[in-house]
Amino acid sequence: MRAVSSGALNLDHIGKRYGAIQVVRDVALEIPRGAFLTLLGPSGCGKTTILRMIAGFANLDEGRILIDGGDISHLAPEARGTGMVFQNYALFPHLSVAGNVGFGLRMRRVARSDIDRRVGAALELVKLGGFEDRYPSQLSGGQQQRVALARALAIEPKVLLLDEPLGALDRNLRDAMQIELRRLQRHLGITTVMVTHDQEEALLLSDWIAVMNCGRIEQFGEPLEIYDRPRSAFVAQFMGIPNLLNGRIEREHGHAVAIRLAGGGLIEGWTRARVSVGRDVVVAVRPSHLKLADATGSDSGVPAKVAYHSVLGERITYNLELASGAELEVHVPRHGAGAERAPGTQVHVIFDPAHTVVLES
Amino acid sequence: MTQDRYRCGFCLLLPACAAIVVLFAAYGWFFWASLFRPGAEGGLALGGAPGLHNYVRILSSPEELAILGDTLWVSLELTAVTLVIGLPMALAIARSHSKLFRGFILFSLAVTFLSGGVTRAYAWLIMLGNRGLINSWLQQLGLTSSPIQMVHNWTGVSIALVHFLLPFLVFTLVGAIKNVPVSVEEAARNLGASRMRTFLLITLPLLSSGIVVAAALTYSLALSAFLFPMLLGGGRVRMVANYIYERIFVSYDLPFAAATSVVFLAVAVSVIASFSALERLARRASAR
Repeated sequence: MRAVSSGALNLDHIGKRYGAIQVVRDVALEIPRGAFLTLLGPSGCGKTTILRMIAGFANLDEGRILIDGGDISHLAPEARGTGMVFQNYALFPHLSVAGNVGFGLRMRRVARSDIDRRVGAALELVKLGGFEDRYPSQLSGGQQQRVALARALAIEPKVLLLDEPLGALDRNLRDAMQIELRRLQRHLGITTVMVTHDQEEALLLSDWIAVMNCGRIEQFGEPLEIYDRPRSAFVAQFMGIPNLLNGRIEREHGHAVAIRLAGGGLIEGWTRARVSVGRDVVVAVRPSHLKLADATGSDSGVPAKVAYHSVLGERITYNLELASGAELEVHVPRHGAGAERAPGTQVHVIFDPAHTVVLES
Repeated sequence: MTQDRYRCGFCLLLPACAAIVVLFAAYGWFFWASLFRPGAEGGLALGGAPGLHNYVRILSSPEELAILGDTLWVSLELTAVTLVIGLPMALAIARSHSKLFRGFILFSLAVTFLSGGVTRAYAWLIMLGNRGLINSWLQQLGLTSSPIQMVHNWTGVSIALVHFLLPFLVFTLVGAIKNVPVSVEEAARNLGASRMRTFLLITLPLLSSGIVVAAALTYSLALSAFLFPMLLGGGRVRMVANYIYERIFVSYDLPFAAATSVVFLAVAVSVIASFSALERLARRASAR
């Protein structure tokens, strides 16, 4: 299959209400042609609703959806030219693999011989060549997933929609499929919107991530930007940062600031927006961006006490207690870390200024 | 220990076996009775030597065969009509977004389902009679000058029977429809199929076995109809059950009635068995 002529997608301030509940609030996103966007968030955050709105299965209460500048908001689902991979694949159980993959082409009244060729190509693409005559019930979960993907790709959609596409697969298969999905999407250059609650999946696959909470976009950006520089406490925690510390701005110089922690200790950090001296702020620090030093012979860092630690294969997780009573989680690689620090040991915690992020309130 | 478990399992089977034995003994006795002639003492007494004379009589009597054929054919028609009315109702119950609409249809079916047969039959008599509600409306509106005959013929019986059969069919179908995931239908729409094509190419084939099951149930209920033909047919409409009843309580010919029911049972079972063959065919056809 050649690269498809996919479209640029524009969500123009869309909103959706179910009764009194606003499930999608003023979501505005522009996805350039060929880009991979992930809507990331916990269940019930409205991400699937947005996908269904793009596909035409949920009406918009506000805003418009455009593909290549054309308004598709009022088109029936079958007229939108999107290709969707459903969470449970939604294969047609009474049709063979070829019947499933060729269904969209049949609906488009493509000639029989062309259908066969394009079905073959789509199956080849997902490495299921030769499976044409099988039935969905005769396939493994991973194979069904590939058929669902081939079926969506066979119609050469303007936009590919993926609803938790790998959620039902086991760990190993999911890792393999993630890499394959990424390769395919790049190869075809197809505009893709994926919904997931798995942050690793989002980081691996996406060009852009929109983190969603309560129907709203909390943060939109490139994967590493979201990973390294969360904007809010919600994004920080969703991206796996357990350490949120209270403090007050003591000095500021553009993006670089010095923060006095609530329980004492001065650390340096980074802020996206300017903050004034004296403001109370919350900073987020990833456990792997912290280092431990002996309390003796070191005056840099923030003093803390080891509450307990656990060894998880390649890393040691220390749970520390700061003078303020706040807890702090630190990850140290087991290899080359020196001796383990027993509970009760006094240590100093060294912060990395580039990865100590002041959250916007 | 395994043996204990087997023994225990066998004990648990006993009540079921007892029930089956009682049921089949009744059939067995009926079959046995069908081989005789009515006894001289009347009632349940049997007389004469056992033989197949009753069966010969049935299969060589045009009247008998006509009633049997009518019953089979009319039941088929009733099943078809019920299916045409019931399928949209079942779809509405299973798939409608409007709670009110769903509730309304469910409620009206439940009322039908729960109200007694005799009450309903008389209600239909009042509705459909020559001086009934419908005829008086039609005449007041000037649509007809003389009443349209709707009772004491097949029309009235059919209306009442469809009304009786509808809940059974709809409730059976709702379950089948709910087993078809909405996402499968959405996938078809997403791939470019209109609502109608989605229904014809996806929903209907996936429903085929459910439809056959519901139709078989409806058909067997229609076959055994007794009350509505009796009350609304006014003696002019006879289905097999009514005929058997007459044989027992009017002409006191129990062995002949028994033979009729044995023949009828055999025919009905084979017709219903052909329903499942039909389903297999439908499934194979839709798999292309």
